Parts: sequence; structure tokens; C-alpha cells
Amino acid sequence: MAEIENKHNELGSILIQKDAIASIARQSTLQSYGVVGLAPKNLIENIRQLFNKDAKYGVEVEFDHDGLVIDIFIVVEYGTRIKSITNSVVNSVKYNVEKTVGLPVRRINVHVRGLRISNMD
Amino acid sequence: MSAVELSKLSTAERHELVPVPINGQGLKTLLEAGMIWLKTNQQTVNSLNVFPVPDGDTGTNMVLTMQAAFDEVATSGASNVGQFAHSIARGALMGARGNSGVILSQIWRGFARALDDHPTMDVKLLADALEEAKATAYKGVVRPVEGTILTVIKDIAAQATVSVQRTSSFTEILWDIVEAANASVERTPDLLPILKQAGVVDSGGKGLLFIFEGMWRFINGDSLDKAVTEVLPLSDMDLENAMETVEEGQDYEVVIDFTPKSTFNLEEYYDELSKIGTSIQVGEGEGIYRMHIHVPLDSRYLPIDHTMNLGTIQKVMMENLVAQMDERKNNKNPKLKLTPVKPDEIAVVAVSPGSGLSRIFASLGVAAIVEGGQTMNPSIKELLASFENLPTDKIIILPNNKNIIMAAKEVASMTVKNVAVIPTISVPQGFSAMFRLIPDSDFDETVEAMNEAMGEVEIGEITTATRTVEIDGVQVEEGQVIALHNGKLITSTQTIEEACEALLIAANTGDYERITLFYGEDIQLSHVNDLADKIRSIYPSHEIEVHEGGQPHYQLIISIE
Repeated sequence: MAEIENKHNELGSILIQKDAIASIARQSTLQSYGVVGLAPKNLIENIRQLFNKDAKYGVEVEFDHDGLVIDIFIVVEYGTRIKSITNSVVNSVKYNVEKTVGLPVRRINVHVRGLRISNMD
Repeated sequence: MSAVELSKLSTAERHELVPVPINGQGLKTLLEAGMIWLKTNQQTVNSLNVFPVPDGDTGTNMVLTMQAAFDEVATSGASNVGQFAHSIARGALMGARGNSGVILSQIWRGFARALDDHPTMDVKLLADALEEAKATAYKGVVRPVEGTILTVIKDIAAQATVSVQRTSSFTEILWDIVEAANASVERTPDLLPILKQAGVVDSGGKGLLFIFEGMWRFINGDSLDKAVTEVLPLSDMDLENAMETVEEGQDYEVVIDFTPKSTFNLEEYYDELSKIGTSIQVGEGEGIYRMHIHVPLDSRYLPIDHTMNLGTIQKVMMENLVAQMDERKNNKNPKLKLTPVKPDEIAVVAVSPGSGLSRIFASLGVAAIVEGGQTMNPSIKELLASFENLPTDKIIILPNNKNIIMAAKEVASMTVKNVAVIPTISVPQGFSAMFRLIPDSDFDETVEAMNEAMGEVEIGEITTATRTVEIDGVQVEEGQVIALHNGKLITSTQTIEEACEALLIAANTGDYERITLFYGEDIQLSHVNDLADKIRSIYPSHEIEVHEGGQPHYQLIISIE
């Protein structure tokens, strides 16, 4: 599993797994207003999700020297303003990841994979 | 209606606007009252924003969302409350800004769904609609965070449902709702630790409270235009003009920049300050607060002592107002308010011979003014410097004097910016051209329009001859008054009155509608007013205006259009 080295000190290094970062991104996405669920990135993940709950479900984390690149796949409530919702997902994921992990977030891509229709007006 | 207009209505008039049961028009009035009260308290809501991103715009976002909702129904005359609510919900959805705006739009959506197609809304339906609003708002998120606007709408709905069992008075229920919302907002820090750490209540919840409070204040006959406490963004603080309102005995102006501690309470701070002095303004930007106050000599250090207890002071500025006021009185050239240029818009540079004329140019929207003309021509360097730092490369120069046109054209060839010179030979031509300026329109079209407009005005100039000479067939003695029409000498006379009359005849004034006199620094205002009266008696159907031009040498510049 890929690990991102965050800090050195005289006693050793701190290594953070991408899964850990994905969990944080996932949590703050699900707390964002208007997001009613995450969506599989692809068919394989969709099938895998049936057998095994995965922290990375709907979230992909990459790292290069400039910072983290996070892709998030979401389902949004029908009848909300998608632009506002995706903006707030970006803001809150960036804020929470940077605050808790201390690594700079370079890009966040939000993919709206579907709408949930719970009420028709 | 504006906040002030709404606030002026009597209680009876207000009740007439909101008949019970509520119809569409009544709901519109309530919506407007809620929106205005929120707008009045916008900065208070903005100052609460800490989560998740401390960007301080919740109040603004909610106001814009409410505004979009209101705009959707502003001109609607529909009386069916259900259809009306659906329009509001649609407007809110389309205009939803930010997290709290989206939640607000969902609240309206649920509210509208419950009203369905009902012609009017009684208290029972109101309670049902609020329950539906809550349910819809909660459906929008997988893991609702409590201690936010969601909690507040939940508590409001619960209170409304309880209250309808007790009373059927709309006013009473609205009051119960406001009280419940207030209590709910106060509880938000207990539910959401980050609010407690920051020492604030939830901003979105507070915004929702203001909306309902505005509705109640309207029904109850309270004013909507005066905020409880006010925090301005730093850029909106008007410290220049605060000077105009210096009260007797308030000798010192104190401005303090500080970062407040987490326990900072704005309302208490305001209360304390109002005991010390007057003209209080508090602004906020990126976590730094700026406080402005006028205080008497003896208590000039009190604001500093007081603020020191509440936060870390970054900077203190103190000025003696009495000395400053004297200086201001002696200063004939107060700072001009030029129009800021947005990137890539057209900017106009005007050459102006007098302070009064500069002020008029400024009010017409020029981006830069170069002093000069008549006797002191501005240098090419001055002209160049006036626009070099403007964030656009579309520049129009109004030379307003035939001796400056050449220099202006020279400037155009010396810069990489796209410069057009409108060959105005006088100030009124410059004014006339300015009326055609649309900063964000096509450059070439604007230049063409301004060139055209320049010729639509007849120009008169009245001055005193400095030597004896014969020009254009007119014999002039030194010290005589001379009149120029469109730059051409037409007569020399003993008095300004005679010169004006001859000029107005030469310019075929009878064919025009308006005469404007710009008087220079060499003539008394009373003299100009007498002159204006005389002109009025000759041309009774013309509009006659008098403005201070402040130009040297020329007693009058006259435009006839």
C-alpha cells in the first residue's frame, strides 16, 4: 500500500497511508450538505463494495511533490444547486484534510455521478 | 420597498399588507421583511463564520439566496399562497449560494411542497409547512451535523407544531418561533464543539433567526433598517466621511486594529464603546478588527485600555480632530473620488483646468485626472503616468484644450497600451463625451460615440484680454472682457454681462434647451448668480445651471446644448 511520508524527526518518520487520507475526505464529503452518497469509481469497485466495505470507496487519493490530488465521486440530492454543493465539498475536504494531516492539497476533483430523487415537486 | 419605507408603515398598514390567513401577497411581504432584516444584520452573520472554512460570507450568501427568491416573485400579483411559495422555492434554488444558501433553498422547497396548491395559509398549515421544510432540509445530507441551521429549523418546526395546539393567532405563533429559534441558536455551541472553541454561535442558524425575526418585527411594528450591532468589511469603512460628523467636545479620533480573543463579544464591545465616545465603526477583514471612534480629550486612551483587555492590539492611530478640521477647511482641494477601473474595462483620463471641473469629471466616471489646461499644459510624462498603473489597456484621453491635443497624441504613440484621443478643445465637450462612456462596451464603438457627442455642444468662454490686439476682425483692448464661441473670438466688451449676451446670440441659444455656467476662481458667486438671473429673463424656457469650475483666468466656461 502506498504510503506518504509526512514528517521526519530524530526518532523516525511518520508515514500516512492514502487510505487514511481517503477516510478523512470521505467523512467530510458525507457531512457536506446536499451530498446523499458516494459512488463507485468503476465497475470493479462497484462489485468489490458488495463483499467488502472499503474506506476508499468513492474517493481516490494521489500524491506528488506539490501536494495531494483527491478525486471524489458523489451522488447529489435532486433539486439542489449542484454548483454550490460541489464548491462546499471542495472547501470542506480541503480544510479537513489540511488541518488533520498537515499536507497541502493541490487539487480536488468532484465528480457528480448521479442524482437521488426523493421528492418530485 | 426599501428597509426605510417598510419601517415607516404603521402597524395597521402592516396588518393590511399581511391579512390572515396568509395569501400570496402577504407571504411576499413577509418574505421581503425577513430578507431586509437579514440584510440589515448581514455583517453580524458574516462575522460568525468559522466552519468549515473561515471565509466569513454566510450572511452574504444567505442574503443573495433570499434576494434571488424575492426577485422571482417581486412583480407577481398571484394571490394563491401555494403557487407563490413554489415560485419562491424556484428562485431560491436557482440563486442558492454557499452551504447555508443551499440549505435555505431546501427549506423553501419543503415549505412550498406542503403548501401545495392551497389558496391561503392558516397557522395549522404553517406548522405543517415548517415540518415539511425541516424534513426536506434533513434529506439533503447523509450525516446531518447538529448545531447548524438544520438544528434551528428542526427546533422551529417543533415549536410551531406545539404552538398551534395552544393558539390560532398568527402573531403569537411567529413570536414563539422567534423565541425558539433564538434559544436554538444559543444552544448551537453546545452541540458543535468547533463553535464553542471559536466562541461563536452558528452563522447559518443565526441568519435563519434573522429571517423569522424580520417577519415578526414587521408584524409587530418594529423598524427593519437599524441593525442591532454592525460590523462592516474593512473596505466599506468610511473613515474619510466620519470626519464630517464630528460632535462638539469629541476632540480625538482613535483607530485601533486588533485581533480579538475567542471570548470576544461584539455587542458588549459596542455597548462599552458607546459609553466612551461617538461615531463608532467596527470593521472586520481576515480576522483583524478595526475600530473607529471619536472621543473627548480626557478619555483619548480609554478605547485603547478597553480594547487591550479583549484582544491583541496591532496598531493604534490617533489624530487631533480639531487641528485636522481646521486644515480641511483651509484645503480647497479635497480628495477626489475617482471611479475604480475594473480589469479590461475602458478607462478615461481627463485633463481638467480647475478643482470644481475635476469634481464634475470625477462624478461622471473618469478614472484619472491630470491637472492642467489653459495656461499650464501638463507634460507628456504626467499624462503617461496617469494611466500607466490602471489595470486595463483601453485608454481614452480627453485633452479638453486644443494645446494639449498634440501632447495627448504623442502619448498614444509612446505606450504599449491602446490609447485613443478624443480631440476635445474645451471642458464642456469633455463632459458631453463622458455621457457616452460605457466602461465594459466595445472600445472602438465607444470612441466613435464619444467623438460624435463632443460636437453636440456649443462652447462659450468668457475671459479678460491680456493685451491689445486684433484677431478675427475684432479689435480688443487690454483689460476688456472677451467672448469666444467654439474657440473663435466674437466680441470684446466692457462687462461680463454684455459678453455673455453676445455669446448666447452667436451660439443660436434659442435652438437649444440648456445653458450651463462653470464659474472660475476670478469671479464672485453672487456675480454669477445675478448673471444667471439675467440669462433666465432672456431665455425663460431654457434650463440654466451654475457649477463651480474653479478654473483660473476664464471667468466663465459656458456650455449650450
